[in-house]
Amino acid sequence: MAKLTTKNLTKHFGGLVAVQNVSFSISSGEILGIIGPNGAGKTTFINLISGIYMPSSGTIEFEGVDISLMPACERAKIGIARTYQLIHPMEDLNLIENIMVGFLFAGNKSMKEARRLATELCESMGLRDLDREVSQLTMLEVKKMEIAHAMANTPKLLFLDEIMAGLNSDETKEMIALVKRLAKERDLAVGVVEHVMGVIRELTDRVIVLESGEIIAEGPYETVSKDKRVIEAYLGGTA
Amino acid sequence: MKRATSYILPVALVALGVLFPLFFGPYPQTVARTIFKYMALALTWDMLFRSGQVSFGIAGFFGLGTYAAALLALKAGFSYPLAILAGALISGIFAYILGFLVLRLRGTYFSITTLALAEIFRVILRNWTSFSGGPEGIVLPQIIFNGDSRCLYWIGLAVLLVVVVVSQYFEKSKLHFSLISIRDNEVSAQTSGVNIFRTLLVVFTVTSFLQGLIGAVDVVSVGYAMPDSAFDSNYTLLPLAMALLGGQHSTWGPIIGSVLLGVASEYLKLKIPYGHLLVYGVIIILVILFMPEGLIGLFRKKKGAKRG
Repeated sequence: MAKLTTKNLTKHFGGLVAVQNVSFSISSGEILGIIGPNGAGKTTFINLISGIYMPSSGTIEFEGVDISLMPACERAKIGIARTYQLIHPMEDLNLIENIMVGFLFAGNKSMKEARRLATELCESMGLRDLDREVSQLTMLEVKKMEIAHAMANTPKLLFLDEIMAGLNSDETKEMIALVKRLAKERDLAVGVVEHVMGVIRELTDRVIVLESGEIIAEGPYETVSKDKRVIEAYLGGTA
Repeated sequence: MKRATSYILPVALVALGVLFPLFFGPYPQTVARTIFKYMALALTWDMLFRSGQVSFGIAGFFGLGTYAAALLALKAGFSYPLAILAGALISGIFAYILGFLVLRLRGTYFSITTLALAEIFRVILRNWTSFSGGPEGIVLPQIIFNGDSRCLYWIGLAVLLVVVVVSQYFEKSKLHFSLISIRDNEVSAQTSGVNIFRTLLVVFTVTSFLQGLIGAVDVVSVGYAMPDSAFDSNYTLLPLAMALLGGQHSTWGPIIGSVLLGVASEYLKLKIPYGHLLVYGVIIILVILFMPEGLIGLFRKKKGAKRG
């Protein structure tokens, strides 16, 4: 059954249409790739689903409930989480404290419980020395922290916004394995925005392609990557 | 700070504070009382500042508590303890209602609006002569505890301790995390489930309640209220300077800063009248330029906390 369904989701900024009539759905355990040229509306789309923006029109249903106008902090509580393309951790909190935030507020856990859960989560993701300041972390650790930060919401639906950017190929492989494992272990629905096609091919079960805010193709990576419109718009086009 | 030392020092300081009037006379007691008042205000300002919001409205809610308590005692015949409580409550209720307007604003807009609120309160009370006594203000028939300087000292200390306890609660509870996450990254705070508006509303209301409490206790301790003294901009600027000098975002910072500046200003007042104001201005500038984390920052090992 679909975890999340959008119908004709549209977002304008003044005269600019960032996302237009996007209808799609994603199921538990599924990893969906979202690709498209720069400015296609991928991040806006995630912002709509996580509640940073409210849609201009169209609906978002999560587990059969219309959440189109629900505030972001409420969406976090019902199991929606995301990472950010520009990672900006809480610099005045250390590593473990950053992860505790989701457990404390999205999960409404006590301080003690949040610390225990955050420690468990970090360890399961291979993060060590949890009392370090975030400025001392390596790039890979920062990326893992960003995922752990989202996982602290105990989500059922997770969106990853270019989480692989800036990683070398070994690190990318490790992250792909990690995301796959998390999705499987926790029966997560995962949406992945990526520019690196290798990652999309390895990681995703299905792909949607956005161009100028609209879905122009949908299907397994192998099919989509051969689609004429996609090649024109994204891989070899002028955009 | 480790567990043992973190208890010994506060307990010793509280004991010293309580016993102080047994060894020192009325003048040192009055100086200490003034320092407590500013210390408490500095703490309340810092408590909201931990969320990144810079309020210039301390004098507004302090003055509101002052006038509410004085008017209720004088016109409605409230006993002083009741008037103090009511003054604090009225200040908190005003903050709660106004919070729906001002807490949608951020940065400079928030600061300027809180400054304007304080001025609006002052102007209303200054001109509504039939209600508030106008520019001459109101005089209470008597001072609480018949003006016994030790009792006045202890009640001032008691208010300070209430504020310190609330500040420590802020530091040790979930609020610590929600305030820092709002300060560091509002967008990500929301998607981690932090209700930003509600958190700020709670903190704004609680800190304004405390500012009202400080004002209410102050008015029954001095026996009169005037618009220009109750809403004196010093009540906004000095606590801010003290918190910044001592070290922002902590309980210890404002305590240290207010002791240093309080003692310094008492000394300077005798040497160069009004000169202390100049000193405050210079200190604010120097601290912001060269020591953005304040004195306490010199002891903190934390490296991550760079921004304010």
